[in-house]
Amino acid sequence: MIQKDNLSPFIAEFNGVSLRYHKGPEILKDITFSLSPGSFHFMTGESGAGKTSLLSLLYLHLEPTKGRVHLLGQAVDMMSRATKAQIRRQIGVVFQDYRLLNHLNAFDNVALPLRLAGEKEADIKKHVSELLAWVGLEKQLKSYPEELSGGEQQRIAIARAVIHKPTLLLADEPTGNVDDIMAKRLLHLFLELNKLGTTVVVATHNSGLVQSFHFPQLHLSEGRLKIIPPSGTYSEMASKLFKREEK
Amino acid sequence: MAQKSDFLFDHKASHFFLPWICGLMVFIATLIVAGGVSVHNSLDLWQKGIAESLTIQIPTYNADGSPRNDAVYHDIETTLMITRTTPGVQGAVVLDDEQMQQLMAPWLGPDAVVSQLPLPKLIDVSVDSKNPPSLEQLKQDLTAQVPSAILDSHRIWLAELINFSNALLHLIGFILLLLFATTIITVVYTTKTALTIQEYVLSLVHMLGAKDWFIMHKYAWHHFKSALGGSLIGFILALPIILGITLFLRAVSGQIFQSSLSLSQWILLLFIPLATAFLAFLTTFHTVWKFLRKFL
Repeated sequence: MIQKDNLSPFIAEFNGVSLRYHKGPEILKDITFSLSPGSFHFMTGESGAGKTSLLSLLYLHLEPTKGRVHLLGQAVDMMSRATKAQIRRQIGVVFQDYRLLNHLNAFDNVALPLRLAGEKEADIKKHVSELLAWVGLEKQLKSYPEELSGGEQQRIAIARAVIHKPTLLLADEPTGNVDDIMAKRLLHLFLELNKLGTTVVVATHNSGLVQSFHFPQLHLSEGRLKIIPPSGTYSEMASKLFKREEK
Repeated sequence: MAQKSDFLFDHKASHFFLPWICGLMVFIATLIVAGGVSVHNSLDLWQKGIAESLTIQIPTYNADGSPRNDAVYHDIETTLMITRTTPGVQGAVVLDDEQMQQLMAPWLGPDAVVSQLPLPKLIDVSVDSKNPPSLEQLKQDLTAQVPSAILDSHRIWLAELINFSNALLHLIGFILLLLFATTIITVVYTTKTALTIQEYVLSLVHMLGAKDWFIMHKYAWHHFKSALGGSLIGFILALPIILGITLFLRAVSGQIFQSSLSLSQWILLLFIPLATAFLAFLTTFHTVWKFLRKFL
């Protein structure tokens, strides 16, 4: 039977979470925050501040040393392995190092989440081709990762993360290897998903990007989390974004 | 584009050794089992011969080469009388020329004219296998009344041969056990190597939400097919060698060594590649299960 405190109305909820690797120092210290459904957050902080570790907790790659994490309403420490797999299917992750499979071409890399979910091949073909065209890789469908540039690999990684319209999208430096126009285009994709209800967390060093979009920040410093509220309204941000796109 | 069923596998990188190892193991195992079955068959044949009959020789020539003529028939009559009244003996008959020819065929060939050879007369004594006669007593009776009669001692050397063959069978069984243990260890390590090479893939598909059962099944089935392919090749390569050895032994030893296998024994041999592939399936299933435990 599910206990009441095992459930949460949030997409993600951290309560007094700490993390350390083996017997090393604490990477994350007493983190408490929650992500409401449909919210958009930037995750900021210096290198080594713990952004990737916090994301790893969010996509169930790590377990906290202390505290409790709820994901998609359920306590992680109470989940069975099968439930964790099910939860992971509702999370899209853009890894900093892309993590593409070199033995699969661009199409098959992007199709991976759909194949794992048992989608029909005809639907997979349609959706993957459309999305790859959207990120400007319609001519690279059959190219293998080793044949593609860093920016192209990054776009494939993003396409793979969003192809199954995840409930929670986590992106670790998703615009690190693309030019400003493509960065904005990719952020626009995240915004579109966000409008459809996907909760988005984007870890980035790009302060310009953070300033352009008036979303709250999960700011990490020496393993501690500070939530910085947005400095403008959504409409201000949207007008800024679309003005820039028009230019 | 990759098929839905094989997107987990980097065919260039892993699973390369499994078919080869399984092929080699099955090749050796098939030869050993075929050898063991042949020894077993021969053992059965010899044991049957020992259990049901014994032979008494009555020389037809004296030591100096002169024929014994009527003395032979006298000795035969006396021997038949002694044997037929010995407890445990079911019957005794003198072998005629045709039977002698059949008997000698493995050594002298089918066309030998035995009547022209200085062969002794043979008395085939049928024995109650459940209640056999005392060979010592029979020998004493014959020595007393028919000094020329020779109670064949083949039971003694055949018994030694049977003991040796039994020991050989046990040795073959032991080698087979070792071979299967080696196969299990090899499959485990090949699977672990494949999984280590593929850890990156496994970790990613795990993070994308692949269930343990799905990954275990995919890997186990993939290894089953690889192992079956290699095992069948190993099995097929062993067949001409078994056939060659069978023909060679038939030519060299005639019917003494029962080297040919029955249909059911060939079917038994066919179980070797199937069992090896199944072993690879189970081992991979278990190894992948253990491997996945290290992921959250």
